[in-house]
Amino acid sequence: MELRIQNLSKQYSNGVQALNHISLTIPAGMFGLLGPNGAGKSTLMRTLATLQDADSGTAHLDAMDIKTHKDEVRRVLGYLPQDFGLYPKVSAYDLLDHFAVLKGLSNGKQRKEVVEGLLHQTNLFDVKNKHVGGFSGGMRQRFGIAQALLGNPKLIIVDEPTAGLDPEERVRFHNLLSDIGNDKIVILSTHIVEDVADLCNHMAVINKGAVILTGQPLELIDQIQGKIWKRFIEKSELARFQQQYQVISSRLTSGRTLVHVYADNSPGDSFTQAQGNLEDVYFSAMANLLPQQLASQLAQTAAPVVRAA
Amino acid sequence: MLPIILFELRQKSRSISTYVYFLMFFSLAMLWIAAAGGVFDGAVIDFGGKVHINSPVAISQTVTFLGYFGIVIVAAMMGRAIQQDTEHNIWHFFYSSPISKFQYLGGRFFGALLALILIFSSISLGAWLGCYLPGLSKNFLGPMIPAAYIAPYLTSLIPNLVIFGALFFTLGALYRRMLPVYVCSVVLLIGYLVAGTLARDVDDRTLAALLDPFGSRAISRVTEYWSITDKNTRIVPMEGLLLYNRLIWGAVGVLALAFCYWRFNFAAITASGKQKKEVTKKTAPAVVTIPLVTPNYGRSNILSLFISQCWLNLRETIKNVYFIVIALTGVMFMFSLSGALSKMYGTTTYPVTYAVLDLLGGSFSLFMLIITTFYAGELVWRERDARIAQLLDALPIPNWVPLMAKLVALISLQGILLFVLMLCGIVIQSFKGYTHYELGQYLQHLFLMQWPGYALIAVLAISIQVILNNKYVGYFVMIAYYIATIALPALGLEHPMIMYAGGPTPRYSDMNGYGHNLPQVIWYQLYWTGAALLLLGLSMLMSVRGTVSEWRNRISQARLGMTPAIRSTLIIGCLMFVSVGGLLFYYTNIVNHYENSFDREEDRAEYEKHYKQYEAMPQPRITDIKVAIDIFPEIRSAHAKASYQLVNKGTTPISEIFITQNKDIRMNQVHFDRNAALAIQDKTGFYSYKLTPALEAGDKLNLDFELEFAPKGVAGMGSESQILYNGSFFNSGVFPHIGYQSVTELTDDKQRKKHGLAEKERMRERDDPKGLANSYIANDADWIRFDATVSTSADQIGIAPGRLDKEWTENGRHYFHYAPDKPILNFFAFLSARYSVKKAQWNDVAIEIDYQKGHEYNLDRMIKGVQESLTYYTQNFGPYQHKMVRIVEFPRFASFAQAFPNTIPFSESIGFIAKVDDKDPKDLDYPFYVTAHEVAHQWWAHQVVSGNTKGATILVETLAQYSALMVMEKTYGKDKMRKFLKYELDQYLFGRGQERKKELPIAFNENQGYIHYSKGSLVMYLLQSQIGQDKVNAALRDVLAQYANKGAPYPSSKVLVDALRKVTPEDKQALIADLFESIILFENRALSASAKAIGNGQYEVTLKASMNKLKADELGAEKEVPLHEWIDIGVDDKDGNPLLRERKFIDRKEMTFTMLVKGEPAKAGIDPDNLYIDRKPEDNLIKVEMATK
Repeated sequence: MELRIQNLSKQYSNGVQALNHISLTIPAGMFGLLGPNGAGKSTLMRTLATLQDADSGTAHLDAMDIKTHKDEVRRVLGYLPQDFGLYPKVSAYDLLDHFAVLKGLSNGKQRKEVVEGLLHQTNLFDVKNKHVGGFSGGMRQRFGIAQALLGNPKLIIVDEPTAGLDPEERVRFHNLLSDIGNDKIVILSTHIVEDVADLCNHMAVINKGAVILTGQPLELIDQIQGKIWKRFIEKSELARFQQQYQVISSRLTSGRTLVHVYADNSPGDSFTQAQGNLEDVYFSAMANLLPQQLASQLAQTAAPVVRAA
Repeated sequence: MLPIILFELRQKSRSISTYVYFLMFFSLAMLWIAAAGGVFDGAVIDFGGKVHINSPVAISQTVTFLGYFGIVIVAAMMGRAIQQDTEHNIWHFFYSSPISKFQYLGGRFFGALLALILIFSSISLGAWLGCYLPGLSKNFLGPMIPAAYIAPYLTSLIPNLVIFGALFFTLGALYRRMLPVYVCSVVLLIGYLVAGTLARDVDDRTLAALLDPFGSRAISRVTEYWSITDKNTRIVPMEGLLLYNRLIWGAVGVLALAFCYWRFNFAAITASGKQKKEVTKKTAPAVVTIPLVTPNYGRSNILSLFISQCWLNLRETIKNVYFIVIALTGVMFMFSLSGALSKMYGTTTYPVTYAVLDLLGGSFSLFMLIITTFYAGELVWRERDARIAQLLDALPIPNWVPLMAKLVALISLQGILLFVLMLCGIVIQSFKGYTHYELGQYLQHLFLMQWPGYALIAVLAISIQVILNNKYVGYFVMIAYYIATIALPALGLEHPMIMYAGGPTPRYSDMNGYGHNLPQVIWYQLYWTGAALLLLGLSMLMSVRGTVSEWRNRISQARLGMTPAIRSTLIIGCLMFVSVGGLLFYYTNIVNHYENSFDREEDRAEYEKHYKQYEAMPQPRITDIKVAIDIFPEIRSAHAKASYQLVNKGTTPISEIFITQNKDIRMNQVHFDRNAALAIQDKTGFYSYKLTPALEAGDKLNLDFELEFAPKGVAGMGSESQILYNGSFFNSGVFPHIGYQSVTELTDDKQRKKHGLAEKERMRERDDPKGLANSYIANDADWIRFDATVSTSADQIGIAPGRLDKEWTENGRHYFHYAPDKPILNFFAFLSARYSVKKAQWNDVAIEIDYQKGHEYNLDRMIKGVQESLTYYTQNFGPYQHKMVRIVEFPRFASFAQAFPNTIPFSESIGFIAKVDDKDPKDLDYPFYVTAHEVAHQWWAHQVVSGNTKGATILVETLAQYSALMVMEKTYGKDKMRKFLKYELDQYLFGRGQERKKELPIAFNENQGYIHYSKGSLVMYLLQSQIGQDKVNAALRDVLAQYANKGAPYPSSKVLVDALRKVTPEDKQALIADLFESIILFENRALSASAKAIGNGQYEVTLKASMNKLKADELGAEKEVPLHEWIDIGVDDKDGNPLLRERKFIDRKEMTFTMLVKGEPAKAGIDPDNLYIDRKPEDNLIKVEMATK
């Protein structure tokens, strides 16, 4: 099972280049697609979910071209869009049952088992007779994933599923995702680094429609060890530091500004070495500090590793 | 508040839709005026007679009429002005900002109102600029009256915007959804429709005027009796009923706004606040194993999936409360209509199935179209509006399933509504005590004829939504389509193949069923089904799945989406459309000669242009007609062999004979008994034969010919023909006439101008000898000997005028030979149908009614009508010339009765199914009355016939009206006359306001129905009440004695007027001139009345009344003339029974009278029985105030 994306491009009529020659190879397992708002994540997700066609380039699920074999792809697809609504006056059970029918679960008895099982799994069984219109954000997302898991899909695409969830719900949601078997391709798009760090064994970072980094999170973190430096500064000094150093992130901690700087050697100036994490990888990539070379090298190396796994 | 208003206006000024609406109404108004002004040859829009296109009434009508279409826009803009905050989720900002509720609501409301006023100002602008379009005929234009362009806004449009706007705004604000707003607009339209139905009856018009939320009925009520001059000059005043209407509805609007202000609050909007809190806080989910199920994507599963989807869509729509509201209002509307079931003279008919279907089906169609259009949008956008589409679109379902499921759901919905309609019909029939349910007719009409038509609209509505991919644009285009179906024919594009889902509408008759039109209906349904398949195929390709919305992407997706199924749908649709279309075109335009109304007028104009030159040439006259006609009802054909004897009654030899023949009926085997060379044969039906030798003065000539009646057709379709499967009826108009026939000429000046003809007088001057040389019935014969043999199928009876001389069966066909005992006018008819026969007798005269089985309701009334008429007429006028009176029913495709010698064809629709309740004082026995009128024609037409000049018809129609009135009064009493004359007064006053050329006094009228029938009744009734029935009848006997059964010169109206003058006493001579030779209107009004008891149950009543007498000219401009009349004053008791009538001499405009009455007076007044022509008959009586002792 493998999803191969080659040179996918898409430009909207307002001129926005949402996808810019994207090439990715996504193996089975949990794949994190990381990027800021407006990077083109959702466009890519929708393209993979058969809801939109790219202007050029292809995406293949094994041998199936997604653009021309939509029906076949949909039969193995589970999709949770970023923003969706539910018929407000329908109960959770009825709605999920409705989706199950549409997913080809024609046998009533089996369907009942599947639907109830998924409601149990997503912890919605107790509210199965409530109208979905009254669901909280977390319940809605769980309902969404239950819906996506119907019919035992091979390709599961979840678009920004944790945005807006409280920490507890997010943990619950992470657990749900982590239960999905490793034999499936699960693509999780998010702008939250932790989601990827917690769940994914492969990832890519995209920005402005282009892939700027791919690899396995742990390897990528290894790549930057020893190159991340930190120190507290005054807020007023930030501009100066940004001029002087490769500042990749700055954040307020207890009212003071903590900056992270990318440098091969210690920049001095009372900087201390920081334990690099995935967030630093992400920000470094966003700041174009990870050389393009490295990114593409990583992209090339990612595939063999996966095949071995 | 101002900043909010300004913001709102700025928003609107940036929105394209504002400009689209403005331009749309601007161009509609311009087009409308241009069409009425004769810019388009084929257009038939007109404001009634000689009303100018820029007259106040015309502008008022334009503004109000176009305003109806505007209601949708008012709903959209007003509702959205407030609802958009919810829809776009921006309400948080507004509700939390420091503005007051008043500022917020007021700002939004007035902002939208101003925008609407600006948009609708385009109508006046368009109507004004439309007057300057090139090609506009100047004589349709009157002087420009600037105020006329403003007034309709003040009386009608702006108040409507405020009223409707308030309602829509309130609903939008309180429900925060658009659906209730649209539902409300539908309910308002119903108010308009109900008012429209009510307005058909004189008694209900005041109620109708108040009930109509648009105020248009009130405007019609205020202006209904306006003369042409009034309409061209007066501005519709804000007074009387119009003012009350505006006040009532204005109050509704203000109350709505107040309610809105009271109920609206800046509280947060929640979907359904109940379960926001997390229900479960359980920790780890139970460990469950979910069975691995292999999904089934097989064919059978897709099918059952499809069925369940159809059901789901249908269920969701029906469950919806708004659907129920619309459907229920529809049902209520139908019940409210049932009271108005085909009324005539305020008297209803039996609720026979076709009448119920006509009434319900017609008015319910509006609901059907609204529901179809609206739910097409709702269904197509259901998933996307609920933002669940992305979930569903990624599911493995074939593209066609959701789309087709929606379509099937929508069509099923229509089926359900039609079923509801059927139930309503049956319930209405049961309520009215009518239990002859014809389920077959219901099913055939609703489900085989209407449903496919609605289904075609459903396909269109869904396809437009899918293809255009914008809900509101979709609605807009559908409304444009509905407007086009009305507007295009009015602009001259009438070909039935142009307008999607168009085609013939067959009419049902109990006699003929749906008849021969049915195959044509089916072919048209197939033709449009082809188009519908193309639309469907296209929708399937263009349907948006996922987030694609750009056209280029949709098109490239469509290329990929072409499946064999879609391809074959497109191919089959294309084949059907083209092949059936070809067949229909072949049938309509090649087998038959297609003509729109303009072409038909053009034919008549051509005839006049080419052949008028022969009008003055002397022609021989027909003296004998012998016809043998074989009618074949089963193939709707007939063959006639006829022979005319022609005599040269003139003084010069005739060497050329002209024949005019109805061009739809082929004339063959034309043969003269001397040498005749065909010189002209023209498609307009004009023939000329050169005779050798010429026909000398006094010589006779025989003309033999054959006529072929056959429908032209193909594939089961056949054109109209005089012959029906059951119930054929046609008169001598289809037989050849000798000479140029000026009746063919176009009479309307607007039409004549359009076809390049000069204006013409409608009739010759009263004493013109050329006119008096012919009877007004025929210009090629005087009194003729007539002999007819009619054969028809074995189960039918064939009828022609005259005594039935012989009846026999031969070769399985039924033969009849008829011959009148005396010569008749050249005016005869043939009928054939499966009749039941009812017989009766009056002295030695046989009475026979040939009727459709099942229509027995009023046979006795008709027989009584014949008997009473014969009694009165023979006593008062003279003997009846035949030995039989025969009433013969014919299908309701025309609704009149016509008197031929001893034979009266009588339409199914005007009496056979009338339901007259003798106990109801309001009901009029109109089967009796119509019978009496037609029997009277046996004297007034078939004994005395007038010449063909101005005023001629009073000798025929007015006298028939008078005769019938007298018979009716004798049988039913004076009270019924009051009721009957009320309708005559209404028709006269309304008719003169629609006059197309000029109104002349009745003795000079130009064959105008509102004058010779309606005013005729009023004039003659007043005359006999003033000088006495005996004197009038004596005058009529005198006319009969002098002119009955004589040839040329024929009498003019002068003969009658002189005879009446002779019997009128000296002091009332002026009345004759007033009634017959002038147009006189009265303004009689009771000002006050009081009474005091003087003991013995007697009262002294004092009445103060005002009188005014006006003389009108041809177009209704009036001037006062001095009073010099004998008018009744009277007192009624509380039940409306007269206590006193006293004739007083009136010579001042205001007079006071004192009367003594026995019994308690309730009302008193002047001309209490409304004998005089008065535009406000209801103010003649006033309540009597009782003086306290």
